[in-house]
Amino acid sequence: MTRVVVALARRALRNALRKPQFLAPLVLMPTLFLAVNVGGLERTTMLPGFPHVDGFLDFQLAGAITQSLLLGGVSAGIAAALDIEGGFFDRLVASPTPRIAIVLGRVLAASVIAAAQVTYFLVLGTIFGAAIKGGVLGVLSVLAIGTVAGTGFGALGVMIALRARNASTVQGIFPLVFVVLFVSSAFFPANLLSAPADVIAAYNPLSYIANGMRQPIAFDNALRPLLEGLAAALGVALGATGLSVLALRGRLGAA
Amino acid sequence: MSGDLRTIGALIRRGLNEILRVPGGAIPGILAPTIFMLGLAAVFGRAAALPHFGGSDFRTFIVPVGMLQGAGFTGAATGVNLARDIERGWFDRLMLAPSPRPVLLAGVVGSACVRCLLPATFLLIVAFALGVDWPGVGALALAALLVMGLAAAAACYATVLALRFRTQQAAPLMQVGAFVSIFLTTAYAPRELLSSWLQTVSDVNPVTHVLEGVRQGFVGDVTWAGTWPALLSIGGLLAVFGTLAVRGMRRQGY
Amino acid sequence: MIGLERAFRGGVKAVDGIDLEVEAGEVYGFLGPNGAGKTTTVRMLVTLLRPTGGVARVAGFDVAAQPSDVRRRIGVALQEAALDPLMTGSELIELQATLHGIAPRTVRARGAELIERVGLSRAAGRRVGTYSGGMRRRLDLAMALIHEPQVLFLDEPTTGLDPTSRLTLWDEVRRLRDEGTTVFLTTQYLEEADQLADRLGIIAAGKIVAGGTPAELKAEIGRPHLDLLLAGGSDVERAREVVAGHGELRPATDSCHLSIGLRDGAADIAPVLRALDEAGIAVAELELKQPTLDDVFLAKTGERLEGADEAQPEPEPELV
Repeated sequence: MTRVVVALARRALRNALRKPQFLAPLVLMPTLFLAVNVGGLERTTMLPGFPHVDGFLDFQLAGAITQSLLLGGVSAGIAAALDIEGGFFDRLVASPTPRIAIVLGRVLAASVIAAAQVTYFLVLGTIFGAAIKGGVLGVLSVLAIGTVAGTGFGALGVMIALRARNASTVQGIFPLVFVVLFVSSAFFPANLLSAPADVIAAYNPLSYIANGMRQPIAFDNALRPLLEGLAAALGVALGATGLSVLALRGRLGAA
Repeated sequence: MSGDLRTIGALIRRGLNEILRVPGGAIPGILAPTIFMLGLAAVFGRAAALPHFGGSDFRTFIVPVGMLQGAGFTGAATGVNLARDIERGWFDRLMLAPSPRPVLLAGVVGSACVRCLLPATFLLIVAFALGVDWPGVGALALAALLVMGLAAAAACYATVLALRFRTQQAAPLMQVGAFVSIFLTTAYAPRELLSSWLQTVSDVNPVTHVLEGVRQGFVGDVTWAGTWPALLSIGGLLAVFGTLAVRGMRRQGY
Repeated sequence: MIGLERAFRGGVKAVDGIDLEVEAGEVYGFLGPNGAGKTTTVRMLVTLLRPTGGVARVAGFDVAAQPSDVRRRIGVALQEAALDPLMTGSELIELQATLHGIAPRTVRARGAELIERVGLSRAAGRRVGTYSGGMRRRLDLAMALIHEPQVLFLDEPTTGLDPTSRLTLWDEVRRLRDEGTTVFLTTQYLEEADQLADRLGIIAAGKIVAGGTPAELKAEIGRPHLDLLLAGGSDVERAREVVAGHGELRPATDSCHLSIGLRDGAADIAPVLRALDEAGIAVAELELKQPTLDDVFLAKTGERLEGADEAQPEPEPELV
């Protein structure tokens, strides 16, 4: 079973790498957004109530990572939907492949890509002057939270693909990514958000995921935010994977 | 001459089918700038407390950004539709028409000018409902003109890409171009608050002038000093991208 | 056109030196297999593609130097009926009319007239996305004719059509020719070229390998041949000796068949049969086969033109 999952994951990764025009938006868009946010709103760090940071970039980096991971999830969903549309999915189902491996294969690929995305932003941030306050341990924490969260978003994408069955519907989810990010504290401190974001952010797992990654970058290795972030990421990952498997069963049951 | 105008009119009418005849097709494009405006204001709204904002609230400050965003993405969408027409062979039919190429381009691009008013209007309705001050009819008219101009320029840019790559896969390039040109400006904050690299970029970006031209009525009064740079920038963008687009059309089949 | 050439990046010459001339008011057929360069040539003639070498004039104007003038006088129906699925048939034809500068007063009337002519009156109000393949081709043709062009280009107009639609289109082409329109037609179907073309050119691998009227081409290649099925138990070798003097022996396909090319056509049949009869060899069946364009193609290029095409009868039917 493990071998099958790895083989499917490898295939998903190979296909992703062969189509850079799908990969580019995952990092390019959040990078642009990051540049614009930091360039335009740098001085907001001076607002009363803003936590003490060395620069707005330190604060924003986690938000960019979160955004990138969410887009990665959409991308995984589109790839899965294309498999379904193109018939590859049916071929897998007709083979002796364990059904759950079909989902896990994609999810594993998503986690590899997620780790790469986190690494990219950490390196980018360092180049442009952010110093990871938490040191090596901090970097590992960010990687851990980010990879788990990215895995969860990938599973969400797969779930949507299984229910929607076509790639353009999944693509339509793209704007929703921005909506859920805007009602979180991914880009701005929770205490400085305006309505309705301030209320929703407290319940939004993205806030905790972003905060969990932000802590080691901008501040220190305080345990509580890290644990909260990890818990939120795990919750999303497990919940989403479970939902995907259910969606897979549902789809196969209906077929 | 009147034949050319009729051609342009007929092509614009066809371009509107995208929103009139595709159920729900227009909705993401119309909603997106408004969602962005609401979200940005909810997240970064407190930034308006910083000096140099001149007392306007953040939402009012970024309404013009949303209007231009709608224009930019409408322009990009026009390019994507053209790429699809090229893939389908419809574009060949257009090229076989005896009309001069600039006339055909005006027809293709013209629908963007009409369509961009939809997201802008929706945005304004929501903004006014949330308390943004009425800027006056003159300011709105100027804003409409500038927004339509930017949509046309964006559509020309996207057309150049569509003619060059001949596939809808070039869509992200078109969208990124629109996004970058609109946001690497004084979109989020007045010039004085921008970091130095963004100050430099926004100084040379002609869209900054367009943005400020739209913004003046919302944050203060419309003046000639604030208007002529905007008009000149639009003119320049249209001249550059329009020429490239016509050249691209003429070079089809080389 | 003279020496027309189209080289693509990588040096592949899709069209490699084509010289031909089409008379006004005739139907000229361009016959060749897929990939021969037909579509590329047409695209150059209708100003969609620039020749990389040579000169072409259509309706009196140079395609490279005076494209607008050419476009005004030609009608084009390309291989892929390029239509907009969101528009109705009427809207499309009216758009086409406007693009060609027809005055608003006449646009609607002319459009309706042409839609009637191609038999789409009932479907004209429906979106083209709902049309069948045959209907799309008909609309495409109507759109190509809206501005009364001098020259009409039809690129594989009946590919993929059912036999009835094909015949309808053939009638339409004949009618157009009778009305004085010059028609340049490309096709991969022998029968189409044979039936419709006043003159034709056979193209393979980017070059014209033969040209002339269908009758001329077939006559050039050969004379008819007689296929005989000998009665069971006959001595084929003896039969071959007996008829050898009456015509040109063709390779035997098996031990019961005899095939002989006739010098003087049908008049030679009687002597052959008489000779066999005198030798005591009985003939079970016979068939007189005229040369086909496929034979012409085979002779000029070494390959057969027709692949597995259901719409065409098999060139050599079974004699059993």
